[in-house]
Amino acid sequence: MPPLRFGYARFASCSGCQLALLNSEDALPQLARRLEPVFFGLINSATDPGGALDLVLVEGSISRPEDLTELLALRRRARVLVAVGACALTGGINALGRTDRFTLCRKVYGEGAEARPTFPPQPLERFVPVDLGLPGCPPETAELVALFGALERGGLPLLPDYPVCMECRQRENLCLLIERRQPCLGPITLAGCEARCPSFGVICEGCRGLVPEANRAEAFRLLLDAGLGEREIRSRMGRFIGEGA
Amino acid sequence: MKVLTLEPLTRVEGHGRVDLILQHGELHDVRVSLNEPLRLFEGLLLGRSFAEVPALVCRICSICTAVHRVASARALEQALGVTVPPAAEVVRELLVLGGHLASHALHLFCLVLPDLAGTPDILTLARDGHPLAVAGLELKRLGNRIQEVAGGRIIHPINVEVGGILYRPSPQATAELAGSLARWQETLPGLLDSFLDPGSYPSAAPAVGTRLAVAGDGKLVLGGDFLSLSDGRRIPVSDYRELLGERVVSHSQAKQSGSRQQVWLTGALARHELAGRDSVRLPPGIYGNNGAQARELSLTLARCSSLLEELGRFPGDAPLLVPVKPDGGMGTAAMEAPRGLLIHHYVLDEFGRVAIADIVTPTAVNQVAMELQLLEDLRGVIDEEELRRRAAWIIRAFDPCISCAVHIIKGPGDPVCSGRILKGRSSAD
Repeated sequence: MPPLRFGYARFASCSGCQLALLNSEDALPQLARRLEPVFFGLINSATDPGGALDLVLVEGSISRPEDLTELLALRRRARVLVAVGACALTGGINALGRTDRFTLCRKVYGEGAEARPTFPPQPLERFVPVDLGLPGCPPETAELVALFGALERGGLPLLPDYPVCMECRQRENLCLLIERRQPCLGPITLAGCEARCPSFGVICEGCRGLVPEANRAEAFRLLLDAGLGEREIRSRMGRFIGEGA
Repeated sequence: MKVLTLEPLTRVEGHGRVDLILQHGELHDVRVSLNEPLRLFEGLLLGRSFAEVPALVCRICSICTAVHRVASARALEQALGVTVPPAAEVVRELLVLGGHLASHALHLFCLVLPDLAGTPDILTLARDGHPLAVAGLELKRLGNRIQEVAGGRIIHPINVEVGGILYRPSPQATAELAGSLARWQETLPGLLDSFLDPGSYPSAAPAVGTRLAVAGDGKLVLGGDFLSLSDGRRIPVSDYRELLGERVVSHSQAKQSGSRQQVWLTGALARHELAGRDSVRLPPGIYGNNGAQARELSLTLARCSSLLEELGRFPGDAPLLVPVKPDGGMGTAAMEAPRGLLIHHYVLDEFGRVAIADIVTPTAVNQVAMELQLLEDLRGVIDEEELRRRAAWIIRAFDPCISCAVHIIKGPGDPVCSGRILKGRSSAD
């Protein structure tokens, strides 16, 4: 089987998703045999020769006209385009502070603001069809490795559609929300992380985004019970889903 | 006039570009642009509770996430008059050092090694079982494991909050780490030779810039109240703004520190020299930064081992977190990120909400030095292919982290392009 021709593109983000991929140290030699990195700027200096690609991973949100142009070009080349991480899926942290972008840029760059066109950071799906979204800030390394395995077999990985609480119960953790009255976002957050944070006794911050049919009203009430003010609840609940105040 | 453009810069973190401006075939000027999309972090913190800050700012950059998280917590603790329990300080230092280890290993073995081995990337080396690459990936994994044990997650750790840490790493996990560290202290020295060997690198001019680091006593120092400069000065961290004079420049999305007249160099090489570790021979010029990183890998391993011992001596019920009440205040923390000096500065209003946030990152500090170093090193080089190749090497030797550098910026009505140095910015608006 010929190696998968893939590219890794990054827009507004922290590089954490590609670093999560590189953190698969023991799988890298095997991945290296099955992948042909056509462009992957963080680790590879080869010049992109163009042409069709089996897979494009895209990290980050779109916030500039030139980013959008690049995204559209990537979509045309890619058989499968995967949005990796919260920034690509919802805008993530970038979407916080929804002040008027132009005003903010004016403050930053003064009269030169017009020369730096930018718009509020957007998820990829606003502009192109996305074949799969890997949630998380960042996604788990094992999920990224599993993605390549599934693609090689001609499919896409099946991701959990249930909340973090399911995995947390499987690990027999104490419930931080009910038993400790801490503002844990487990009930409304997509699983797939093996309840990583609650397993250390640390509340879920919701980095994998909303589970389908999340009962947000009830979550809001539980967080009020846990002692947070309304403003902070809105801020925490919206942090990774593009709704942050 | 002709302009040679290197874009995108590869095997560095983030989107950057170098313009080499030639006149009559010779290098005449250089422009380094850090052209990441805007992140506006300092702006989006405004009005938020202090308690939210560490989890948000660690997402400025994934490679430097641990040190951003700890530096922000420290600055906020200073603002709120909180003293962190000693056991928590030990775990935090371990976390930050794990970050240094992983970052230096990533830079040397994944980004620089392909230059030395003449391959396009680490994947090729890993596939072919190149022994240094395989060992380097293992070393990177050790750094990650330290971060995971101390911080709960490799990227964007969860264990650090304002007031201390949330949990103590399990004895099993720390015992396993102590074992790995002891094994690595024996094997590591053999892996570093090629990064320390001057013959591995092109010829180089002396490294430019006044060295700048958090002041210490010659040991591996991560944080402190004073900055040490190679011109002999010692400056309180709270005076950083007057010292650095960050300004907005038209060709870059990052604020720039200093000017062509006052050039700063921060990072492993600056730390090495300011700590008086000159006795060890390093590669010439800016490639000394790679050598200094290699030296720091050894120091870091040793320090992590003693931190684990120290942690073991605390009783099982040693306090880890002190309660923090929202209040007003101002705090500044300086820490050494893998790439050099990192400053977090916050002013909180009476409800403990962020009124001003200012974050200075090492790559923004080094921006001018990168340009001058290119000019110094490449003077007289006329072959365009060699210019391109060596320019990429030089930039890479600085180990820039462009996501960090463009976390960005505010500055009331700052004129752009005028190059006016910003002083005493006192308002976020």
